[in-house]
Formats: sequence, structure tokens, C-alpha cells
Amino acid sequence: MSLYQGKLLHLILLERFGPIVADVGKALFEFPRSLFHVRKTTGFPLLKVKESLSILIKFNLASFKLNHDGTTATYRLIIDNILLMLRYPKFINLIKMKMEDEAETLVEELLYKGCSTASELIIKTATRLKENKDIGTLLKQLKDKFASLVTAKYFIRLKNANTQEQELFAVPTIDLKQLSSIMNGSDETPADESIYWTLNPDRFHQDLRDQLVVNAVTNKFDENTGELMRIFLQQMYIRTSPWVPVSNLIPVLEVKDIVKKQKTHPQLLAFFDQYVNILEQDGNNIIQKAGEASGGSFQIEMKKIFTQLTWEIMEQLVNEKFDTKASRIFRLVKCRRYIEPEEIQHLVMMPSKEVKRITYQLFEENFVLLNELKRSITNSGPNKSFTLFYIQLTQLVRTTLELSYKTLFNIMTRRHHEKFLNKRIIDKKQRVDTISMGMRVQGASVDQLTDIEEMITPPEAEALAKIGKMMKKLNVAELEIDDTIFLLQMYLAYE
Amino acid sequence: MSKTKAESGESSASSIENVIVQLAKEKPSGISNDDIRNAIPDTPLEIWTKIINKLLKSGILELFKDQGVLLYKYKDPSKKTEIKGSDNEEKVVYKIIEEAGTKGIWIRDIRVKSNLNMTQLNKVLKSLETKKYIKAVKSVSASKKKVYMLYDLEPDSSVTGGAWYQDQDFESEFVDVLNQQCHRFLEEKRETSIKMGGGPLMARNRSYATASDVHKFISELGISKVQLSVNDIESILYTVVLDNKAERILNSSGEYLYRAIKTFLPTNGIVSTTCGICPIEGRCAENALINPKTCKYITDWLSD
Ligand code: SF4
Repeated sequence: MSLYQGKLLHLILLERFGPIVADVGKALFEFPRSLFHVRKTTGFPLLKVKESLSILIKFNLASFKLNHDGTTATYRLIIDNILLMLRYPKFINLIKMKMEDEAETLVEELLYKGCSTASELIIKTATRLKENKDIGTLLKQLKDKFASLVTAKYFIRLKNANTQEQELFAVPTIDLKQLSSIMNGSDETPADESIYWTLNPDRFHQDLRDQLVVNAVTNKFDENTGELMRIFLQQMYIRTSPWVPVSNLIPVLEVKDIVKKQKTHPQLLAFFDQYVNILEQDGNNIIQKAGEASGGSFQIEMKKIFTQLTWEIMEQLVNEKFDTKASRIFRLVKCRRYIEPEEIQHLVMMPSKEVKRITYQLFEENFVLLNELKRSITNSGPNKSFTLFYIQLTQLVRTTLELSYKTLFNIMTRRHHEKFLNKRIIDKKQRVDTISMGMRVQGASVDQLTDIEEMITPPEAEALAKIGKMMKKLNVAELEIDDTIFLLQMYLAYE
Repeated sequence: MSKTKAESGESSASSIENVIVQLAKEKPSGISNDDIRNAIPDTPLEIWTKIINKLLKSGILELFKDQGVLLYKYKDPSKKTEIKGSDNEEKVVYKIIEEAGTKGIWIRDIRVKSNLNMTQLNKVLKSLETKKYIKAVKSVSASKKKVYMLYDLEPDSSVTGGAWYQDQDFESEFVDVLNQQCHRFLEEKRETSIKMGGGPLMARNRSYATASDVHKFISELGISKVQLSVNDIESILYTVVLDNKAERILNSSGEYLYRAIKTFLPTNGIVSTTCGICPIEGRCAENALINPKTCKYITDWLSD
């Protein structure tokens, strides 16, 4: 638990649920507490606290446990799930790329509600999409999409004490007729009442991880090698559970068959063996040959891939924070594992003064560590001890994660602040928009509409455009920092 | 008449002497009897052997034997003349410095070997220096340390640091330029090998280059004012490897092969914002003087 994680959680909850829930969350972040305690720390009325806790629980952002006395409970924050909210846009985007729009809206709605029964969710989504559509077909489509999302494990059933393991991804009964009559105003109870569903982040992470690996391979080699990697990953799931560090064997012929069938990459097919060779022979151990039978089999070295990617992040960080000279030294220490200062100077080809300055900087910010070895024998010769530089990657990842949280917090704080500074003009724009929308509905003339819109003066419009650009930049930055966080979390997960 | 004859004999002897000395000067590795005979074919043997003997005696030539052949080497008269006009201490010190050769010798070591005290030694060194018999050269291995060597010797690369040093200063910019050019060469090679088509393996193998290939390219570019060796280029290429812009592998004959590569990740989130790479991040906090609401770095970044 870190300082900035806590601050960040507060901001996220504030944005999504308002100040009261945010403060309740903050109180729980400090310690798991009982209802009474939360009320005492926050000073809110009991009702408000109860409301906040139930929101947190509904969105799976907090859990509770009955105390020994059997009447009170202790509430605990689920930190990871709160941080996950920053990743929601990516989840939605992912489904959008993989499935059709209906699925995207289903995911959106579920994220919006936290958890829901299938029927409720489908009705909600149908209400949103029903314009220009036949309700019957729409409901059928949504039902199918819901089923595929469950089968593909993007949705997971919320557990209670009696839920069986195999029920977690079993599609519930959804009665289409019933749904359409409910949509027409009847108050029947749907057949799947009390079976609640929520998002399964693990499954989304799996996709994000694979996407990351494929992109990385494409970047380093080329499109064809990237595609090869993608198919290897796809075939990995047949025999391997998703999160093991090294996959089970994948027969290369199987991969080749797929390339042959999909006919999208003729170059990859024509030089299939060569591409496999290139991937295998790369010094980073992405895949490894592990069996000779039937044309050879390969293992995917997930852990090694992520270690490599993490090194690259660190190198970039050193590069940007200091300069290319510093990252050269950093990489040399990495390659040698342990290295004496004198040796560094010789190999990196820099003046000794500069090498000293840079290694000191790196040391000061903990990018490299120092190990002093004492010669045990008492001789009073000149070389009584010598120093070695080395790097502790895992420790570095932890500090970088904290730095990422801080960065995220800073950027979000700035975004709030800019909004606050420009509140007057943003509010005005909103008012004008509401008015003009209302008038449009009432069938106002074009002239009338322009009159209203001209209430925003040109300088104001310019300022608004500037603010919009700024907000967008901040938003994009937030998503990108989360990319870094995701990668570092992956590294730690495999550690 | 007899007088003129004697004169002309003398003058021809001195011109032969000049020819031989000139010849020896041109060939520092030494001249053989055959070389001399070829240079002055119509001078009788006994005449020029007499001259050689005279030159050897006066120390202008030195006699060597290399693989059974007698060689005469020109010896710089300045080295021998120093003995004249110098006292014993100077001769001792001169000898010690001469022995140190192109690597030079530190003053402390001279003192130990010569048994002179510091004041004496300083005086001697000063005098030898003003007479241009010796010189002091700064060593790159430790700043402020000087080594002494004979005046007309070219210092060893371990003293000067080789091609990368200019008067003891490391030539960073020169190294940087070479680093960029080496990378450029490898990158162009990579690109052409992809353009040439064929399978990916072939493209990869074609994109490898040895240090000699790169050396040739750099020499032809003519950007270096000093002569660079293949080893020098090898050192530069290793910096390109350390910059993660190239990889190197050993081929079957134990030679390094270099190849331009790309990285896995494009610019990452944490480095694309200001805070991830902020130099004063440690002093920045929500309610501190330096804070994200008013931070100038973010302001600049936003208006980029
Ligand atoms: S807000 Fe500004 S001062 Fe603070 S860490 Fe970010 S860039 Fe640095």
C-alpha cells in the first residue's frame, strides 16, 4: 500500500461517485473498519455512510466480513478493483474490436451498473439501442451476445456461498418473450432473478497482455512475425492455463495450418520456417524449442518476455530522465550484472568525470545499487576494498509503480484544477448547449438557433477549444500511464 | 697538384659520407651493406668501409644484426650530444628516462631509481627539458600525473589514450559522431537488406556487418583526422550495442557481427508525461510550493 495509491483512489472515487463515497473509501483505505468506525472517522450521517458502503459493495470495490459477534461486519476496500476503473475505456475498446457494437454496449452498461442480472442488462441495453430497430431481433441479438461474453469468460457470475465452480461461466436461462413483455411495461420477475453478473478483469487482462506482446514483437521484427506470435498465443490456450510463466508445448505444424487456412499473410506462409527461426533465435528467448516430434514444438516464455519489456521501460526512463549516456551506462550494468566503476568508463567510451557524475546520479535515484566488497586479508595494500555496481529490477519496478501512481494523481489533479479554473466558461457552454437542444426539439428556426449559439463569443469559443484540447491531452496521458502500470503489474505477477 | 688530388679525395669522401647518412636516415629500420653498394656503385669497397667505420665510431650509425645480416641504423645525434655539456646526474636521469621508452616514467619512479632528492631531480629535469632532450607528457590514466620521455618519442597510446584523446581530454563529440555514423551504416544495411527481398532469414543475415566493414566505411567518410584501427571501431560499435540500437553475435570464426535492431516498445506512458521524468519530483506534492496544479512543466507540456 502506498501513499499515492491512496490519494489516487480518492480521486477516482470522487470522479465517479462524488465526495461522500470518496471519503468513505479513504477511511477504508487506511484500515478495514466497521460501519460505526467509518461513521466516526468521516463524520457523515449513518444513512449516507450506509449508502456509500452499499455502492462500493455493489461495484465490487469493497467487501465485508461478519465479525465474531455475528451482528457487526468489517468492511475492506478492494484496491485493485478501484484502480481498474481507469482501465474501463480499454476494456470497452477491446470488446469493440473483437465483437460487434451490441457487445460493446452490453459491456458499457455492465460497467456502469457494477453488477446486474442478464435480463436486466439486456433490457437496459435494448432500451438504449432500440431506435430504428425491431425489438424482437434486437433482444435475440443481445441474448446471443451476452451468451458469448459469458462463454468467452468476459463476464463472470457473482459468487455467493453456494455457487459452484462450474456455474461461474454457465449461461443463464433468458426468456425472450418475457423480456419483450417487460419492455412493454409488464412487471413480471425475470427467470434469472438473483443471478448476478459482473466483469471478469482477468480475462480482459489476458487479452491486453497478448495484445501487448503481439505489438511488441511487431515493433521489433515486422508484421509477419507479429502475426506468427499472435497465432502462437492463440494456440497456447488450448493446452495451457493462461497465467503460467512458461507455456506447454505448441506444435509448430498446428500454427502453420492456421496460417495456411487464414490466407491473410502469404509472406508468412511462404517463409514460415524462417519466421519461426527468427523468433526462436532472438536473444530475448521469446519462444523456445522444446520438442522435436512432428516438426517441432515450442514453448512461449511469457515471464521472460515481460522481464525484457520491463527492462525496456526502465531504460527509457533513464534515457528520458537523464540522457542517452546514462542509459548506456545503465544497460552496461544490466548486461554485466556486476561491474566495477573503472571498467564502465572503458567500455562506454566517455570521459571519466562524466561517468562518475552519471553513475552517482543513477545511484542517488536508486537506478543502480552499490556493493562494497572488502578484501578479508589484513594487508595494508592500496586496494583494500572494491565497489561493484548492480541493478535490482524488482525493487526498481516497485518504485516506478509508485512513481506512476504519483504521476497519474498529478495529472488527474491538474485536470480537475483546470476544470475548476475554467468553470464559468464551461458552465456557460453547457447552458447554451442545453438551451439550443431544447429549442431544436421544439422546432426552432435556424436563425433562432444561431442566435443562441452566438451567445458564446469568438474569444470564448477559442478558449473552449483550447480547454478541450488540454483535457484530451490529459485524458490520453492518463490512459498511457495506465499502460505502463499494466506492464509493470504483469512483471510483478510473473515474478 | 698532389694537394688538389688530396683535396678532391677528401671532398668525395665527405659526399659519400653524406649519401650514406641520408640513406640511413630514410630507412630507420637500418641499411645493409648491399643497400650501400647499390647506392654508390662506383666507390671502391675499402673507401666506404672506412667511412662506415668512422661513422660508427662517432656514433652517427649503429650496428645491428638482424637474421644474420648486418644493418646500420642512423642514430639521432641529439641523443648522443646530450652527453656533452651535461653533468653526471643529468646523464643518469636521461638514461632512466630513455629506458622507459614510449610509455614514459613518473617522477616518483625516477627519484627511486636515481636516488636523487626531489630538489635535485627537479633541477635536472628542468635542465633536460629546456635543452629539449626530454619532455613531460600528461597521462590520461590519472589527471595531474605527468610522465617523462625522450623529446622526440611519440607517446604510447596507453599514455595518450589513443585515438579518443586530444591532449589528455577525451573527445566526446568525436566518439558521438562515430557512434552515430556506425549506427547509420548498420541501419542502412538493414534497410537495403530488407528491400532486396527474399526470406526474412536471408534479410537478417545480410544485415550483419563486421567491424572491418564498418571501419572501411568510416575511413572512406574521412571524418576522422586520426588513423582509426579496426579495434577502435569495435569499441565504438559496442557503444551502439549498449545504446540498444544494435546487437552483436559471434560468428563461427570468433569474429563479432553487428546488426541494427529495433526495440520492443514505442515510447512508454510514464516517460511521455512530465512527472515520470521530472527532476524535482521529490519536492513536489499536492499542497507544497511545487505542486501539480501550478506546475510549470505541465503547463509547458500542455501548450506544446
Ligand atoms: S507536477 Fe510538475 S513538479 Fe510535480 S512531479 Fe509533475 S512535473 Fe514534476
